[in-house]
Parts: sequence; structure tokens; C-alpha cells
Amino acid sequence: MKVFSKMRTLTERTEIVALLGIAILSQAIGNVLLSQGMKSVSEVGSMISGDWVAVFLQIVDTPSIPFGVGFLIIFFVLFATSLSRADLSFVLPAISSEVIVNVAFANYFLQETVSATRWLGVVLISIGVVLVVRSSPRTFGVEREPIEAWEEVNR
Amino acid sequence: MTTALMIAIIVLADAAADVFLTKGMRQIGEVTSFAPRELLTVALKALSNRHVLASMLFMALHLTGFLIVLSWADLSFVFPATAMVYVVGTLAAKFILGETISTHRWAGTMLVCLGVGLVSIP
Repeated sequence: MKVFSKMRTLTERTEIVALLGIAILSQAIGNVLLSQGMKSVSEVGSMISGDWVAVFLQIVDTPSIPFGVGFLIIFFVLFATSLSRADLSFVLPAISSEVIVNVAFANYFLQETVSATRWLGVVLISIGVVLVVRSSPRTFGVEREPIEAWEEVNR
Repeated sequence: MTTALMIAIIVLADAAADVFLTKGMRQIGEVTSFAPRELLTVALKALSNRHVLASMLFMALHLTGFLIVLSWADLSFVFPATAMVYVVGTLAAKFILGETISTHRWAGTMLVCLGVGLVSIP
């Protein structure tokens, strides 16, 4: 019985972690696309003339912006979905791995130099996320039993 | 002083948005399928759920506060300070949503908070 509930918690955790993983990647891709797109729009400089219709048309016409917004919508849907199934105190720290992805993107794709303080921060976040993800994803609601069993097995 | 107050508002608004979204999503029920029809039903339910709507209001307040405080304070100060949301959010999860926070989870959350603070310092 204990083994069975342990397996159930494991599957649930794997699913939630997978959801959050895709969410984090979508957000990172969305942010990169948006920032690229918006830079190319502001370069044209029609913001200054106050021609908002022209600016709006440019935004819609720059493919990376609608795609970026699309990825951010995917992020939000996955974030809300995981909150329907897991603790906020599980999802919130776990989603902070986005910071690690951002630093990695900046380092490898944009060739930004990352300071020692930043790397230290990345290490701390990684340890923190591992600690949080190791705890059982759900303590709210009626399903108390499997979680208590899981904590017992884990002790 | 004004900056500290603004940062407190930003962090509280962010945490409130998360708490309301969680409450709303739990009322709607577990989302286990990603079939388009299922997602559409969930989206319609979400848009008519007052907790989800309150969450969006707090998200807007968070963003507005963030933009306002950036008009006089440095991003290098504001951004690390907003990392406090991890601790505030976890406290809210414990006392408002009734979640059980194990010692491991607390330790992990503290490390994340510290780490995000460090990463945001230029």
C-alpha cells in the first residue's frame, strides 16, 4: 500500500515538474522573441511622432511579437494548470528556475559575460529548486494519506 | 521610505495575485487534459471566476507599481528586492491556502530567494 501511494506521488510530481519545465522554456523563448521584436519596432522611431496606429500595425506585422505573446500565453496556461494540481509553495520556487535559463541564454546566445556573483546566485537557486522539488508537490486538499506516507518513506 | 513602501506594495500585489490565482484554479478543479475543447471550457470558467479576476487586478497593480517605482529607483535595487515574493508567497500559501511547508521546502525557498537576489545584482 505504501509503495503504491509512493508511486502515485512520484507520477504526479513528474507530471507537474514536466509542466513547469515546458512553462519555463515557453516564458524564456517568449521573452527573447518579444525583446527582439520590440527593439526592431522602436528603431523605426514612429513612437516619437505619436502615431500609435502605425506603431500597432508594426507590432502586429513583426512576426516575433505575436509569437512571443503566444509563448507567454502558453506559459500562463501551464502555470495556472499546475496551480490547480500542486501547492503554490511548490510551484513558486520551482518556477524561479527561469532565472537560471535567462542567465544561461544570456551567456551562450547573447555572449554576455556573467559575473561571479551571478553564478553564485545560479548555484543557490539550483540547490533551492532541487530541495523544493524533492518535497511532495501537494499538501492541500483531502488527499492527505499518500503524502504522509511519502514523507514517511522519505524520512 | 517611499521606495520601501512601493516595493512592499509590489511584492504584496504579486503574492496576492498568486494566492488568488491558486484559489480560483482550485475552485475550477484539476486541469488534467490539454485537449482544445477542455482548455476552452477551463478558460471560460476562469474568466468568470472572481478569484481569477481579482488575481488579474493584482497582476496589473504589480506591474503598475513596478513601472512607477522604476521612474525614480534603480532597477538594480528594485529587482533583487522583489525576490522577497518567494518568502511572502510561501507564508501566504501556509496561512491563507493551508499548505504544509516542510523544513526542506523552507530551506529551498530561502536559497531561491537569496539566489534570485544575487543574480539580479549587476
